[in-house]
Order: sequence, then C-alpha cells, then structure tokens
Amino acid sequence: MGKTMRDTFWDSIYDMAKTNRDIVIVSADFGAPSLDKFRRDFPEQYINVGISEQNAVLVATGLALAGKKPIVYAITQFITLRCFEQIRIYPCGMNLPITILGVGAGISYWESGATHHCMEQLSIMRTLPNLKIINCSDEAMAQNAASCVVNMNAPKFIQLDREIILSMKGENIDFDKGFRMIVNGDNQLVIATGIMNRELLDIRKDNDYKFSLMDLYTIPVDKVAFKEVIAKFSSVITVEENTKQGGMGSYIMELLSEFDIQIPVKQIALETANGYEPSYNYGGRENIREAYGMGKQRIKNVIEKMYERQEKSI
Amino acid sequence: MQKDCEFLKEKAKQLRSDVAKMTTKARIGHVTSSYSCTELMVALYYGGILRYRIEEPDWKGRDYFILSKGHANPILYSILMDLGFIEKEEKDRFCTSEGALGVLLRGDLPGTEITSGSLGCGLGIAAGIAQALKIDGKENAIVCMLGDAECREGAIWEAAMHIGYTKLDNIVVIVDRNNLGATHFVEEEAGIGDVAEKFSTFGFDTVTINGHDFEDIFNAIGDIRHHTRKKPLAIIANTKKGKGVSFIEDQVFMHGVAIPEEKLEDALREIREGEVL
Repeated sequence: MGKTMRDTFWDSIYDMAKTNRDIVIVSADFGAPSLDKFRRDFPEQYINVGISEQNAVLVATGLALAGKKPIVYAITQFITLRCFEQIRIYPCGMNLPITILGVGAGISYWESGATHHCMEQLSIMRTLPNLKIINCSDEAMAQNAASCVVNMNAPKFIQLDREIILSMKGENIDFDKGFRMIVNGDNQLVIATGIMNRELLDIRKDNDYKFSLMDLYTIPVDKVAFKEVIAKFSSVITVEENTKQGGMGSYIMELLSEFDIQIPVKQIALETANGYEPSYNYGGRENIREAYGMGKQRIKNVIEKMYERQEKSI
Repeated sequence: MQKDCEFLKEKAKQLRSDVAKMTTKARIGHVTSSYSCTELMVALYYGGILRYRIEEPDWKGRDYFILSKGHANPILYSILMDLGFIEKEEKDRFCTSEGALGVLLRGDLPGTEITSGSLGCGLGIAAGIAQALKIDGKENAIVCMLGDAECREGAIWEAAMHIGYTKLDNIVVIVDRNNLGATHFVEEEAGIGDVAEKFSTFGFDTVTINGHDFEDIFNAIGDIRHHTRKKPLAIIANTKKGKGVSFIEDQVFMHGVAIPEEKLEDALREIREGEVL
C-alpha cells in the first residue's frame, strides 16, 4: 500500500523541520493526517489563516521577507487562481523563496465538480516569471520535491495529485533538469505530466505499444538537456490533465519552435472550449477525461494514427 | 526620541516641497496622496519611531515600514533621498529612463520593503513579517500604512481578521483617512463607514487622531516596542488629501496629478508660509 503524495511530502517536511526553524506552513484551512504531527511538534511554525487565499500568499510574503521559507498550502484551484495577482506581484515579482503547494492536480476531485477541478493551472502559472512549476507524477517525486522548499531559492508551485501513485521506475528525479525518461522505447515519444504518466504506462503495457515515455515534471525544463533528447525522436504526443490552451503541450510546441525542430506534435488535453459541463459527470475520473476528449480510447487512437502516419512515410 | 515638533514641521515643509518639485518636473506623480500622510511619515522617520540604519538598509534590527498605499510613494522616496538611503540626484531623474524611481513603489531599492501599487496587499504582508519576528523572538515593530479608499479591498479585512485573531501586538496600522479616492469622496460613494469600529471589532485597539498633528501622532503610537498593549493597534488618522497647498487640497481630480509648472511657485510659497494644522 503506497502513500499519497501529500503524506510523503509532509513526512519529508517534518523531518527537515526538526533542524530548520525557517520552514513555516501557511494553511488556508487545509490539513492532512500527516500534517498533524507537524502542528503538534512545531506549533509556532504552523499558521492557519483560514479560508483566505489572498491573505495566505501575503502572509507568506511577509514571512519570506523576514527570512523564512514558507509553504502556502491549500487545494490547488484556490491557492493559484483566487490569489493569482498576489502570487504575480510578490513571490514572482520580488523573486521570494515561497512554495505554493496545491493538492488536487487536474480532476483529482472528480466527485466535486468544476469548482475543484484544476484545469488551467499549468497554463496560467507558467506565464509567471521566476516561478518553477513542479507537477509531481508519483509519491517518490512528492517526497523529493519537499527538499525544494529549502534548497530552491526561488518561488515554486508544487502540484500534488490526490490519488496514490506508486513510484514509477525511471531516470533519477532532477528538478533543475525537469524531465525524465520513464521508458526508452522506439522513436515515437509520448510526453506526459502528472498522473497521465501512470495512465500512459498502463496504456502502453495493455496494448503492447513500443513508444518512449517521458515524464515532464518541471516547467521550465533545462532547455539544453531537453533539446538534446527531443532531437532524437520523429514525432511527439503530449498528454496532460490540463486545458489544451497554454498547457504543457503548448509549452512543448513553443520549445520546438524555438529549437527549429520540425516534427509532428499531437496534443491530448482537456477540451474545455464548450464549458465545464463534463466536470459534472460524477462517474469517476476516467469518465470526466473521456467527456473532455482525453479518455483512454482517444489516447489510443492518437497513438495509432501516429504509427500509421509513420508507416506511410517510410 | 526626537520630538522637536518645530523641527518636524520644518521637515514636513521641506519634504512637501521636494515632492512638488520632483513630480512637477516629471509632470506626474501622486502629490495629494503624499501630502495627506506627510506628517505621519515624518513622525515615523524623523521622530524616533522607526529604527533603521541608513548604511545598512537590510539591518535585521530594523523596524518594518510597509507602505500599502503605494501611491504615496513620492513622499517615501523623498524621505529615503533626504536620509541618504537613495542618492539625492534620483529626484531629477524621476520617471525617466535614466532613473530608478517611478510613480509607484518598488521593493528592491535601499530602505524599501515591498513593491506596492496594487492596493490591499500591505496588511497581509505586515502580518507575515510580524509572525516571522514572533517565531524568532524579536521585538522589531511593523508599521503598515493604508489608505482609507484602499479599505474597500477584501484582502485588507482577511488580514485584519487574522492579525486581530492572532493578537499580533507588534503591528501598528495607520489608516490615512483622507476621505478621497481617485474619483470620489469616500463617504459619498463607496464609503467605509466607521473604520475605527471595524478594526476594533476585528480585535485591534484603536485611536482616532488628527493625522497632521505631531503630538497626536506621538501620543497615539507611544513607545512602539515597549508598550502594554495586548492587541495590534489601528490608528485612524484624519487627514486632508493634498494638505498644505490650498488649490489641490480636497480636490477630486488631483489624484495622481502633479502640480502644473506655472503653479509650482505658488504651491512652494504656500508650503513655505503655511502653518500646518
């Protein structure tokens, strides 16, 4: 039985806080069983500002200005969009070592409807300067990401999934590099972020596909390293539980444009142009993905078309 | 503590003149917002209230002044130049490509703490600084200046509720109650009502003063570090926007407007001859 990303993250933070008085948690009325021991043992370093996300970011700003390494903590949707301007001006504009920690990446809260679905976060947050976005893809990554709170002297937005996602085998996690190969296969590359890595691994296995799978977990990536790797592939499919507009897929296309690399790219993402109605499908996460145009069958279709196209071109 | 009120009054006149000259030359800047809080700022910086080290702006023992109403920036910049945090020649380069100073406050200049201009942000930041200092067992004080029209921002009250509930007694909030927003007299449109009562309800000690009277200001703040308060303090400072120059005082459409060049001499004369109060 694995642990949630949230629990592995907070367990790491608890261990670090034993010797580091500068770690301060600012919660907007959001907890976790794994956070309880932190609250018990380091009460001064735990501030619950209540349901007030703008204030949470501002309080964290003050803490950082006075030398602390604050973690602002809430459901992702609220701690990014409600207080976007505060994040823009202070952590990002003043380049402060503040961690925005959101739980509930993508449609983690599938039973809750659109208010809790984090569909625009990658698109919106990546417009901000200085900010490192870390979109965790498994429990081990969440555990490692905790070290960034202290070691990365810049603002960062760490997004955790609500589901338990067991550690995937793959290359070492390096938050400066920002990506890792989960599987080295043929010259067709699928780039996934967050929980979609696990989904793609399952699809690959169930259908005996041979594509290579890359986990892109930090935006921006180390461009030099990324360019070197991407140049080896003949086509790319991007998969993210985020809107198509401006998300990880858009980011990849911007990079390819910048690198002058001309290979086919297909983007699989949440298609929200017609509104949030699919979010009110209460049949589970896969059902909602399907309703937004990125269910398993659609992903398989795109992968198979990619192979067909390649065969024709040979 | 420096409480020579004659000296402070002269200093206020000098700084109002500095603000007028700097902004008239650039033809832009928030003069009236600066003049309503001039005495308050002079008391803080020249009256021995705030501790600071000019040669070491980031000194850890300093008190924190958070200008939430970042539009009153010309008076803060004028003080920082007068004291020597920022070189005085910057006033001649105000709002030019050669200069470092613009209309709104940036947080990366010596003597400044935060970027400011988007309203409603300073009080929450003050709360965070106050809590960091409490964690570290330090006695530095935090003074946060708000505009009264700014108090329509919801984030102010998120912060006020938090500060009051947490009893952050190292915070002093000053509301520059000049009763004038950018386009309206506050209590005629979009009023904030009894702001002292509001802060009191949120858990602050409150006192209402004449914000142009040095004695009132010192009496209200008292000894900022060694006090017997158990609560944060909110000072409601009744002021006049544009105070000191009759033809810009209490004028609705003077927000963010510099004194025209042809009227500068009149303004400087009024400042020089005028009796504050």
